[in-house]
Amino acid sequence: MIMEFPITPPIGDRVKRKETLRFVTGTGHYVDDLLPPGTLHAAFVRSSCAHARIKGVAVEAARAMPGVHAVFTGEDIAHQVKPLRVGGSSLLRQIKLYPLAVDKVRYYGEPLAVVVADNRYLAEDAVEAVSVDYSPLPVVIDPEAAMEPGAPIVHEDVGSNIVYKYHFATDGIDKVFQDADVVVRERIRSHRIAACPIEPRAYLAHYNKEEDSLTMWSATANPHSLRGRIGDILDFPEGKIRVIAPDVGGSFGVKIQTYQEELLLPYLSRELGRPIKWCETRVEHMRNGRHGRDQIHTIEMALKKDGTMLGIKDKIIADMGSTYTVDHSIMAAALYMTGVYQIQNYAVDAFGISTNKTTHGSLRGIGKADASYVLERLVDIAARELKLDPIDIRMKNFIPPEAFPYRNATGALYDSGQYQLALKRTAAMAGYEQRRKEQAELRKRGIYRGIGVALVMEPTSSSRIHATGGYASCRLRIDPSGAVTVFSSMGEQGQGHETTIAQIVASQTGIPFDKITVIHGDTLPTPYGFGTGSSRSSVVLMPSAWVAGKLMRDKILGIAARQLGVAPEKLEIGDGKVFVRENHQQSIAVMEIVRTAYGAIHLLPENMEPGLEVTGYFVNPNIDYAPDAKGRMNTFSSYPYAAVIAVVDVDVETGMIKIVKYATVHDCGNMINPQIVDTQQQGSIMQGIGAALYEELRYDEDGQLLTSTFMDYRLPSVEEVPELALEHIVTPNPFTPLGAKGAGETGMLGPPPALCNAVEDALSPLGVKIRETPLTPDRILNLIEQAQATSHHA
Amino acid sequence: MLKKISLTVNGKLCSGEVESRTLLAHFLRDGLRLTGTHLGCVVGRCGACTVLWNGAPVKSCMVFAVQAAGDDIVTVEGLAQDKRLHPLQEAFWKNDAVECGYCTPGMLMSAYGLLDKRIKPTEKDIERAISGNLCRCTGYGNIVAAIKEAALNFTK
Repeated sequence: MIMEFPITPPIGDRVKRKETLRFVTGTGHYVDDLLPPGTLHAAFVRSSCAHARIKGVAVEAARAMPGVHAVFTGEDIAHQVKPLRVGGSSLLRQIKLYPLAVDKVRYYGEPLAVVVADNRYLAEDAVEAVSVDYSPLPVVIDPEAAMEPGAPIVHEDVGSNIVYKYHFATDGIDKVFQDADVVVRERIRSHRIAACPIEPRAYLAHYNKEEDSLTMWSATANPHSLRGRIGDILDFPEGKIRVIAPDVGGSFGVKIQTYQEELLLPYLSRELGRPIKWCETRVEHMRNGRHGRDQIHTIEMALKKDGTMLGIKDKIIADMGSTYTVDHSIMAAALYMTGVYQIQNYAVDAFGISTNKTTHGSLRGIGKADASYVLERLVDIAARELKLDPIDIRMKNFIPPEAFPYRNATGALYDSGQYQLALKRTAAMAGYEQRRKEQAELRKRGIYRGIGVALVMEPTSSSRIHATGGYASCRLRIDPSGAVTVFSSMGEQGQGHETTIAQIVASQTGIPFDKITVIHGDTLPTPYGFGTGSSRSSVVLMPSAWVAGKLMRDKILGIAARQLGVAPEKLEIGDGKVFVRENHQQSIAVMEIVRTAYGAIHLLPENMEPGLEVTGYFVNPNIDYAPDAKGRMNTFSSYPYAAVIAVVDVDVETGMIKIVKYATVHDCGNMINPQIVDTQQQGSIMQGIGAALYEELRYDEDGQLLTSTFMDYRLPSVEEVPELALEHIVTPNPFTPLGAKGAGETGMLGPPPALCNAVEDALSPLGVKIRETPLTPDRILNLIEQAQATSHHA
Repeated sequence: MLKKISLTVNGKLCSGEVESRTLLAHFLRDGLRLTGTHLGCVVGRCGACTVLWNGAPVKSCMVFAVQAAGDDIVTVEGLAQDKRLHPLQEAFWKNDAVECGYCTPGMLMSAYGLLDKRIKPTEKDIERAISGNLCRCTGYGNIVAAIKEAALNFTK
């Protein structure tokens, strides 16, 4: 398929972001900055057990405290609200999630009662005065143990901890393994991490009694879906609910889902008739914000002696925590375990398991990060087994550029790519050949330097029925004063939509970039759309702005054509005028067209509606909404990727890892604003480095979270930034009018496999094998010790 | 029990009533409604609430409001003068050192504390100055570049 990309400036320019001005002056407005008169503040009583029956909650002392307006327990509200709907599978649909735990708690930190008081200090004081009587139940933390018969059951309604199952196999997969020269097998786990946007979750609900209406300010990445869910659980007309996501301080997936606290605040506001605010503490974010990753893959690859990859079999056990509500993470891994390689023989059995951990959910690269990590580790293990260079084995098996659009074994349709070129260029940037020579020299001097290769691919713009949609929309209005406003269906949490949407509309209509205002995150003026996730913005939202811009351009030219007496095709827009391309003197001011559209409608072309307001929709054109007879389907619309080469030095005395160089070539197709892409990539890479080296959510056997502050859950700071070489190649996505792919997550996918491969390479003289992450100094030292013990025994 | 305090914030004398336990960050935000100072952890680890206290950067979630009585505080709202952006603000904008904006005020104030010493900072100085400020969006590179650039044309 070949598409034209009529891209003209300012699309493609490194335009300074519109939204930055209010952020550098401290005049942005986040939820916690809002304080309507009469606002009360909520604080939550949270479970100190990971799994227990609630025998009683004593709230009288708290209710009597100064400044306390109300205390509610799960029991108090269970019959006042409906449970949150849970989807994804028939098993999951049996799970009921209430805003406060009823009867039993399923994870450490689960909210079970709420205090509302005059201010946060008084609310927290009263939380201390609530006493909870628990009857502890056996705790299940390990997902493999949770699958065993007789394991403690997290959801009695489901009857088993296996809450999700998926099986897929191509014909003849077993034969491929029988005929293979070599089969490599490995058990690899992606560890549990937290998103940690610097702004924690924050909500403010305001029920207006006179109007019987509700306004909810939420640090959400998904305002329209949230509106529907609030209506559902309160049994309140959705039309009387307005959700506003003002400035949101980062999401990385964690704010796209709906939370217990988020559904409770509207109820509290309606009950008490006052605005109610709650802002999460960091400890609460760690305990209650959705967790990410944590999949165990038992994977095997069949190969020929020359390194040709023949087939993959995988078993995935995904630890979903206590109350999983969607299946994205499992599917985003299970459909993509063949990655960027020409492997048409594939089988997978995937299981989603309930445990007594915090609920699992979206986190930058959900499922895709687990898939690319496990596969890129396995490819390196295969290369070592076959004594092949890690670049050579990849080059030999990559899907070639001419094979796109390419259907993988599960039916996923990859839009475009140049994997060989990307890795070749990365190798040149990293000085790969030279570094291999140096490595041998350094080893003689006792310096453990390693080089790690990875090519990570990120399915973007998930499009699933009732869950993530396959479309987005923008409404574009030029009002009678000439002011230009775009209403976007998706909110932003740092992505720069106010800038990129304005760039697209400016390019289409000729209206100057500076004169275009973008409104987002407010369900009242904006058209419907799904949340900002799955790197969807540039794949569906930006094309919808392009469509809206084109509709507006056609309308303006249509009006001008009639007034100038020439065909619309002969006209151009620029400098506030519409003019004849071959005779610039023959022109009409855009403002004159605006006045005509609103006030002199007798001058409009026949059958044209008055006004200047259009809505552009864009639908992902390449999505399957139902599987074929063999269970194959494509649920993502574009497939950006990045080649990575990481060079590390490992200090075998301290276990410390130093990243000497991190080189990467990224391909997200055409870039609407390359500056924004660059910045986002750098941040995404740093988040991936954090995941690979420092960050881990750890539980003890009683289900207590051991890492609930930034002291013990360590985000990378400026001091951990490595020497970074970042370049792009552009392979346009043929399925959208802008040729853009998603750009948000690929960066984060690179470091876990590339750094693990590099560290394993560095420590290969010691025989160290890495199967657990993150690569903290104590883990590295343990691995070295184990390897030495093994070699002494051998 | 409430205590009355007065302090100078962004050059203006301000006063209010606080509890002994009221954090400076909460007094600035809720008492004075200067909401540019953000809260990301309230235990002194993320740096989003950094302000200048008598000229030195401090995490305002780690200071009680009463401790700052009679003192001089500068918040992000005090950086721009006469509606003209401070060179640091200009440089952050130009170098795309901002995505979601939540850590930005703290980053700016830590950087301001460094540049205000009028010593030409090295890259290491810059890194040290913002090492207590976490940013999850940008990966820091553009922030360091912005501070470097601002240091070149910084005038008080």
